[in-house]
Amino acid sequence: MNKAQPHLHACLECDLLVNMPDAISHRTNVHCPRCNHSIAMGHNNAKQYVLATSFTALILMVVACTFSFISFSSNEQIRTINLLQTFTELYTQEYYFVAVLVFSFILLLPTLYLTSVCLIILSTFRGFEIVPSVGLGKLMSYILPWSMAEVFLIGVLVALIKVTSMADISLEPSFWAYVIFAPLFTHIVSVIDSHRLWDWIEQAGACSHG
Amino acid sequence: MHVHMVNSIKPKTAANSGLVNCLVCHQLAPIAATHCQRCNTALSSRVKNSVQISLSLLVTAILLYIPANIYPIMSTELLGKTTQSTIIGGIVLFLEHGSYFVAAVILIASVIVPIAKMFALAWLCYCATRADGIKQYELTQLYRVTEFIGKWSMVDVFVVAILVALIQLGEIMSIKVGFAATAFAVVVIMTMVSAHQFDTRILWDRVDQE
Repeated sequence: MNKAQPHLHACLECDLLVNMPDAISHRTNVHCPRCNHSIAMGHNNAKQYVLATSFTALILMVVACTFSFISFSSNEQIRTINLLQTFTELYTQEYYFVAVLVFSFILLLPTLYLTSVCLIILSTFRGFEIVPSVGLGKLMSYILPWSMAEVFLIGVLVALIKVTSMADISLEPSFWAYVIFAPLFTHIVSVIDSHRLWDWIEQAGACSHG
Repeated sequence: MHVHMVNSIKPKTAANSGLVNCLVCHQLAPIAATHCQRCNTALSSRVKNSVQISLSLLVTAILLYIPANIYPIMSTELLGKTTQSTIIGGIVLFLEHGSYFVAAVILIASVIVPIAKMFALAWLCYCATRADGIKQYELTQLYRVTEFIGKWSMVDVFVVAILVALIQLGEIMSIKVGFAATAFAVVVIMTMVSAHQFDTRILWDRVDQE
């Protein structure tokens, strides 16, 4: 560990060494002076804010999975689907690979990401780790590029525009839960910068080991 | 540290200061270290064979983009009559029906974005191996755009997933997935991994050497 130079940071995109300021003011970004890569973002109350919004997002995800998603009626036939059927139907048509992808991208990975960040923040408060925080932090960095909640939302909107001309569509509670979940998830991701995240992980480790 | 002296003769980077940056937790370590002290990730100063890996994944993506466009992405059964539609065929169908917005979204997400991404990656790989002067800043910007738009191509796969789940009214109207959905999902994944494997720092190493 570099105890002598704790605030020295190498830019991920151009490798330039940057001296990190001790405090970054609320909602301002630190950019790399050479390639303009955004290195860190200041937030006055990040820990509580991220914990609260992640918890909200997890509740919304539970709501999105429990109620019905969209219902569709044509020629006096009605079909109502829930969120899970967007991939179980692919599975029954034997497109296992695409089914697993859709399940992971829209549901599993965003949920894992939010659960991990909640567990890390909780261990900094409570002084013991339920799951090792370092592992959770690594997991978060691997799954982040594959979380596609907002892309799925656009997909739903496009599909709806496509179907409205053929039949009557009614939007059910779980649809609205996902409509709030997707932008909220994107917002949470933008607040968690890796600097702060690894500070929390170090705090969590320090708490639990003495 | 003279980090703000961007135009000084030799910019101080992690590599020429005898340090190596961890790509997962962004902590600096001495260049001789094999694993990160904080998160135990294997360390290396630059991604090994970055250009070769990027290029090979890119070629895989280009090859798979052919079946993704030849095979039907879904087949619609309407009153016993089955029509199969490819990605391009779907766009033409929307244009004929007058839904220009949906046509535009699908065209951008499934045709323009993947092709633009492939060209951008090929250009980045070419510039990284070229000997003479390159524009680091512009290329880094191009890389950022490429990485950002990557997952948005998945929109088409999600649209198919929702339509397949929703429109299942037996013989009146039902939709089945086609092989192109799998091929297209793999194309998107390959281009995403390809972009992820590309190391922009090798572009900036030229500034060091000049």
